[in-house]
Formats: sequence, structure tokens, C-alpha cells
Amino acid sequence: MLARLTQTKALHWLGRQLLNRDDPAAWLDPLAGAINPMWVQEYTPARVERIMAETADTKTFVLKPASRWTGFEAGQHVNICTEIDGIRRTRTFSLSSSPELWRKQGLITLTIKRLPGGLVTNWLHDALSEGDILGLTDAFGEFLVPQPAKPVLFIAGGSGITPVLSQLETMAASHYPAPVTLLYFVRTGNDIIGREKLEAIAARYPGLNLNIIATHEGKEPRFLCDADLEAIDGLKEREAYLCGPKGLMDLATELLQQRGLAESQMHSTFFAPPAPAALDNDQLGGEVSFTRSSVNVGSEGDANLLEIAEAAGLKPRYGCRMGICHQCSCRKTSGTVVNRLTGKVSGPGEESVQLCVSVPRGPVQIDV
Amino acid sequence: MKKLSEEQLNGLQQDLDAIRDEVLADLGERDATYIRKIIRLHRTLEVGGRVIMPFGFIPPVFVAATASLGIAKILENMEIGHNVMHGQYDWMNDPALNSQTYEWDTVCTSESWRQTHNYEHHTYTNIIGKDRDYGYAVLRLDDDVKWHPGHLLQFVNYILLTVLFQWGVGVHELESEKIRRGELRWRDKLPFLKDFARKGGRQAFKDYVFFPLLTLPVAPVVLAGNVGANLIRNIWASTVIFCGHFTQDAETFTEEECEGESKGHWYLRQLSGSSNFTGGKWLHVLSGHLSYQVEHHVFPDLPAHRYPEISAKVQEVCKKYDIPYNTGSFAKQYGTVLSRIARFSLPDAVRTRLEQRGSGQLQAI
Repeated sequence: MLARLTQTKALHWLGRQLLNRDDPAAWLDPLAGAINPMWVQEYTPARVERIMAETADTKTFVLKPASRWTGFEAGQHVNICTEIDGIRRTRTFSLSSSPELWRKQGLITLTIKRLPGGLVTNWLHDALSEGDILGLTDAFGEFLVPQPAKPVLFIAGGSGITPVLSQLETMAASHYPAPVTLLYFVRTGNDIIGREKLEAIAARYPGLNLNIIATHEGKEPRFLCDADLEAIDGLKEREAYLCGPKGLMDLATELLQQRGLAESQMHSTFFAPPAPAALDNDQLGGEVSFTRSSVNVGSEGDANLLEIAEAAGLKPRYGCRMGICHQCSCRKTSGTVVNRLTGKVSGPGEESVQLCVSVPRGPVQIDV
Repeated sequence: MKKLSEEQLNGLQQDLDAIRDEVLADLGERDATYIRKIIRLHRTLEVGGRVIMPFGFIPPVFVAATASLGIAKILENMEIGHNVMHGQYDWMNDPALNSQTYEWDTVCTSESWRQTHNYEHHTYTNIIGKDRDYGYAVLRLDDDVKWHPGHLLQFVNYILLTVLFQWGVGVHELESEKIRRGELRWRDKLPFLKDFARKGGRQAFKDYVFFPLLTLPVAPVVLAGNVGANLIRNIWASTVIFCGHFTQDAETFTEEECEGESKGHWYLRQLSGSSNFTGGKWLHVLSGHLSYQVEHHVFPDLPAHRYPEISAKVQEVCKKYDIPYNTGSFAKQYGTVLSRIARFSLPDAVRTRLEQRGSGQLQAI
């Protein structure tokens, strides 16, 4: 109800005049949230309904987002936001449930592996309980099931299976009319995430060719090899989806390219940020103008805009600081930047850039 | 100002930096919980005040509503807004508490406040000619400003400034004294004036048009109550702020003696130019912890509720270097402020004779 009120343009304008903020509905959060945490407007809250152990280091968190959440497509991810020791932390995770579960029961699942030394994943495993609230953003991502249907090959490793789980559920439910093969690599049998789910899907959906390979169970490690690809019918016509540790993704990309697949047929989703694209250091750096703060600084080498801003005494909002969650996105009003993750060079005009992975190339103006 | 050797100034810097680092390392859930609690209190007082204000035709309800709204504005301006804009809570990574985007409930734009207060006042604290907060360009508080007969009536200026304090603060960046002297043109200040007119307009619309009209039959009551609430905040804020740098023993400095200042010297100037007052816990909260002006000027970006906790350590450092730590009861400190306003409204000759006679009488006793 409050959500409908906040969407009326006139009321929103009035709220901005009266309350001096761009999200006037959130002004009441300290009171609303104290009565019911799901009434918070500043972000979309999601209640932790259940926590289930998948393997020794992986748990599935069943969440109930506020009904105003806009939903998702199979294969996408979300940013979750939580406060740890007074500080808000944002991280990106793939949704491991299918959109059907959200539409029918209003639930989603995140399957999260505990990363050694990771602040948030360890906190989620050790401190998050049923009834707690996480902040959720809209879902995003281009790692989507092909429409119209085409033959698909999934190559997943470890916790990289999570978006694939969502996609396989969806394909099974819609009787996806093209062949689907999954090559799922895990260290040992104990590390298979979603084993029951995968087997259940394979049982009711004949289109799925399920292959789970343990890499470290035999005397010798057994990794992805060309023979695995040899066995796949019509490999060259398939859309390949890769999700897993960097080593597996690089190996898979190489083998698939050798087998004649074009770059447009291969889809990856980043799990840990890949190594920064090699940048031509000569062209980097330039004068950066943070227009809203009236601060001008020069920069050299591949210092990113977030570092440059912080070195100049500014404190822009940030999240993961590695180019995945978009919390630090700001408007670049002019100039060119290079995205350190993808190597892509921006246009010279006004666009949104992520401060933490954008490196100036020549003079740049940022609305910060 | 106490003369310290370069070695002592370095020592002073190290000792104070150590206190700061210790607090920074300790920031966490306790501080986040505190500021959220204060914000919840603010929302409660503002919603409560505005909801019962239309029933203010019943006198006790009027008093309660006006007081509630007035205290809400005090809390929002002083314990929340001023502190958030200093960056005291930026480490929380909460977009609603970011120093660069927070907009507070007063006619002064946050942009202007960050410029004139965070930057100018805190950098040039009490340096005559550079810290325009000293006297706000409408009061003569030091003998550096040449006396003229108009100063005899400066108490009237003080009362006007206090009653209309939010407007005085809002327009402070105009530098009207420089425009009058011809050093600046109105045209130079046009962008600032536009922003000020917009913010001032929105605030006036909210308190003096929107809420009164919302409950039309009792509009005059709501208008009166909202005026009263703003008045309460103006008087309280002005009084607390004047106690920060205009008490008897708060020192002023010349530009020359501060040229090429080291960090240790900056610390010394902040310690000597600021003054505290004592009181109960709620006095401190309502003053936005500006009752700890010394600690605030030495550590402007540490969460203000931490100042009482480090006060003892700061006093120890002052004692170590024989630097006076300026504090006293609220009444006493404010009394010296009023005395300063009165004394400097008089010609220098009259003032010095009165001061001599005053100290002479003390000696006789």
C-alpha cells in the first residue's frame, strides 16, 4: 500500500520538497521498520525463512522478499545487503531457485559457499538466522536461457552450479524443446551442490543429459578435456554457458574455441572477479573533475576512479569494490574511461560508470 | 596562545593522533546503533509534534506539540545533521547517512554548510579575517575590528541573529560585508542565492504553508506552533554555538602566526580557540555534543557521542603540555559570552577602563 503511494509522481515530488531527500518514503523507515522490518522502503527487504546445509561449506538460504520485488529470470543474480558490525556490505549472488517458485510461493533461494577469508560469506554462514532481514536489489544479468530455444551446453564447477540450477528447473518445467547437456565438475562426491535436485530434474526431464564429474576422487586429478566435448551431439550448434572457478572457465573457453564455437555462442557469468584486463598503461590517467564536490585531481597509471576520489578526500558510496555489484555507479558527464574488468572503453559522453573499475583515459568529469 | 617548541608540537600531534586512531579502530555496531536510535527518536518527536499540533487550540497541547517539534529540529540539526555532514558516519556505508548527500531540516543548504563550516570554519578556526564565524560579520567580539558608534547597539544585532538564527546561517555564505565593501559583486553570489532561495522556499513552504493548510480550520494554530518550534531551535542552537568560541578564555589568532602551520600547531590552535560546557547526558545530546567543542574541533570526524569518552584523555594531553582546557558550567560559559558582546560594543578606551577597574576591585578585596 505504501509502495503504491510512493509511486504517485505528485506525492513523490511533494515528499521530496517536505523531507529533503530523493527517497521520501524511506524517511519513516526508522519507525516503520521498528514495527515490521518488512515495511522498510529504503531497500527491498527479504526475510530469511529457512537455512539448509548443502555440503560442508555450502548452505542454501530460502528468502521471502517483500512482495514489491520485481522478480527475475533464470540465471540472473541479485545484490544482497547486510550490516556487519555497523557497516553495510553488499555482495552479488546468483539465484538458485526458478522464477516459478517466486511467482507461486513468493520465495527465492541463494546457495552460498563459504569463501576462506571472505567477510560476508562467513558471516552469512555463522551469524545469519531464520527471521533475519537482508536487503535485496532488483535482479540483473545477461546469463539467460536462450529464447527461442536452442541446444545448450552447461559447463559448471563447484558453486558455479547455482545459476544453472535455476535455469535447469525452468527448462524442465517448460519442457524446453532442445537438448541440454550439463558437465558439472566438483572436487569429490561430497561437494556436489544440489545433487537431489539435479537428479530429480534429470528423472522428469528427458532432454537433460546430466554428467557429474569428480575431479579429485581418483588417483589422478580428472579435469575437463576434449574427450568430454567429443561426446556431445551437435556441439557446434549449441549455446555454451560457463560458470565456475577461473581455471575451469578459461579451460572450457579454450577447448570450445578449438572445437569451432564462436564468441557469441559462449556466455559466462563472473563468480569471483576475473583478473583485470591488461591495459595499455601509456594512455591511462588524466585529470579527473568531481563536479559535485568541486574537486579536481590528476591521476596517473591505472588508479580507478574510486581510489582517485578517496585519495582526494571524497567518500563516494561503494559496495564490493570489484566491479560486480554496481553500488558505486555514478554519472560520468564527459570524458573516456576504461573498464578494468572487461577492458571495454566507454564513449566520450554522459553515461553511468562503476567507479571502482573505471580508469580515466584523458580528462574526465564525474558527477560526484 | 601557549608557546610550544617544535618538538613539543610534534609530541602533541602524536598524542592526539593516537587517541583518534584508537577510536577509529573501535568504531562499529555500537556507533551504528546509537545514531539509529537518535534518528528514531527524531522521527518520533517530529511525527508526534506535527500530529498533535492541530489540537493546539488547547494550550497544554500547543506547548507539548511545539516543544516536541522544536526538540525534533534541534536533534536533527545538531546531533544528526551536523555530525553526519562532518563525515562522522560515512564509514557505515549507509547512503542515508553519507556526508556528501545528507540534506538537513533548516534553510541553510547542506552544500553551503559543508563549504562554510566543514571547510572554512574548521580549517581557519578563530583566525581573525579568515574564520567568518567569529562574530558572523555582524558582531564586534574582538579589538581587531575598529569600533564605531553603531556597535553600541550590537546587542540588538545579537538578539535578531539569535531569533532568526537559521536564516543567518543560511545566508552566511553571501559574505554581505564583502559585497558592501565592494570586494564582491552580487552577481558572483547568484548561484548561491538561487540555491538558498530554493531551500529556504521549500522549508518555509513546509512549516508555514503546507502543514497549516493541511488542517485548514486550525491553520493559525499550526502556523504559530511551527514558528515556535523553529524559534526554539534558533535560540538553542545560537546559544550553544556561541559558547563554542566566544567565551572569555577562547583565544583568537592572526593570519601571520598561523602561516605554514604544522599539524601540531593546528591541534594547539583548535584546543586554544574552543571551549566546552558541562552538564547532564541529555544536555550533551541536545547540544549535538558541541558541549565538547574542544574535542569536536580536534576530532571533527569522530562520532560525537564518543567525545565524552575521550575527554579525560584529551585533558591529560593538555595537562602534559600545560595547555589550558577551557570548560565551565553552561551558565558560567554563556555569561562570559554575553559579557563579551556587551564589552566590545563599547569604545576601547571605555572597555579597558572598566576592565581595569573590575580587576582593581578584585585586587582590593
